[in-house]
Amino acid sequence: MRKAIGIILICAALILPFVFFDVLPAIGDPASAPNSHVSDYYIEHTESIANSPNMVTAVIVDFRAFDTLLETTVMFLAGVCVMIILAGVFKTDKRIIEPRSKKMKKHKKGEPVFRGINKDVTITVLQPIILVYAIYVLFHGEVSLGGGFQAGALIGTVLLLDAMAIPDKRNFPDITKGTSAMVAGIGTFIYALAGILTLVGGGFFLEYEKFPWSVAAAEQHSIGILMVEIGVTLGVAGTIVTIMNAILEKVKFDK
Amino acid sequence: MQILSLEAILLISLIVISLVIIFVDDLMTAVVVYCAFSFVTMFLYIVMGAPDVAFTEAVIGVLSTIFFVMILKSIKRKTKRKK
Repeated sequence: MRKAIGIILICAALILPFVFFDVLPAIGDPASAPNSHVSDYYIEHTESIANSPNMVTAVIVDFRAFDTLLETTVMFLAGVCVMIILAGVFKTDKRIIEPRSKKMKKHKKGEPVFRGINKDVTITVLQPIILVYAIYVLFHGEVSLGGGFQAGALIGTVLLLDAMAIPDKRNFPDITKGTSAMVAGIGTFIYALAGILTLVGGGFFLEYEKFPWSVAAAEQHSIGILMVEIGVTLGVAGTIVTIMNAILEKVKFDK
Repeated sequence: MQILSLEAILLISLIVISLVIIFVDDLMTAVVVYCAFSFVTMFLYIVMGAPDVAFTEAVIGVLSTIFFVMILKSIKRKTKRKK
């Protein structure tokens, strides 16, 4: 039954593009409907207003900052929901899928999840490189690729590697479930704080020119973008560590 | 024209990968092939000229695969076949 539904969906997904292929505009066509209204404004004003060479970052965290605030909130709520679901409802005797064996134990703190990973390579090579790249992506995000979301995901990857590979209790930031959820909440709050500060300065919500400190308007945009990206980074990294800690704490493993 | 044919190759491989995910019995294989799905999607985004989205897709594809493998350590790898 499930496979039949899957095959039907794939067939539908195959047929639909062929039906609508002629209606779609070409990629990057400047005369098409989505490119002809608001895109010109973004292309003209990204350098002058937002002070950011990367147009994607400018649109996401400057022109459409309110959308991104709600997206970050949704991410935070998703982490909290995973925590709540794994805490109560997911009982072992009511599982739909069978457990692996009867000798499963809960994950002890400080034990590696996967025993096959070389911890020396993880500690000395992978973690520092990923961490440095995350910080580069965060602070260079308005010039090159990336931004807060990617940096947060990379920092979350570093902490995941920690839990997966390191066998003793030297986990460098010993983050519990509550702390990581709190960090995610603080990140979302930093984002909202940028909006509240612009309200204090007498502008609209997230209107970066109205920050209460007095520097040039372009610099204020840079400060606003950086503040928002740090908030998003903390939110995403906290959410990933929250999900990881909820899984490690509540799900039994086959050792 | 060359870019279009590259896109066609990537899209056809996406279809093949999704068929493999449906029909495979081993859940671990399904998860790893799902990671390959997100990898091919990443190349598709690069071809379409959206490197930001491709970067996000690469990172999130790896992260979700790690979560799936973590969960797979607690459940049976094989799905039951109907007799």
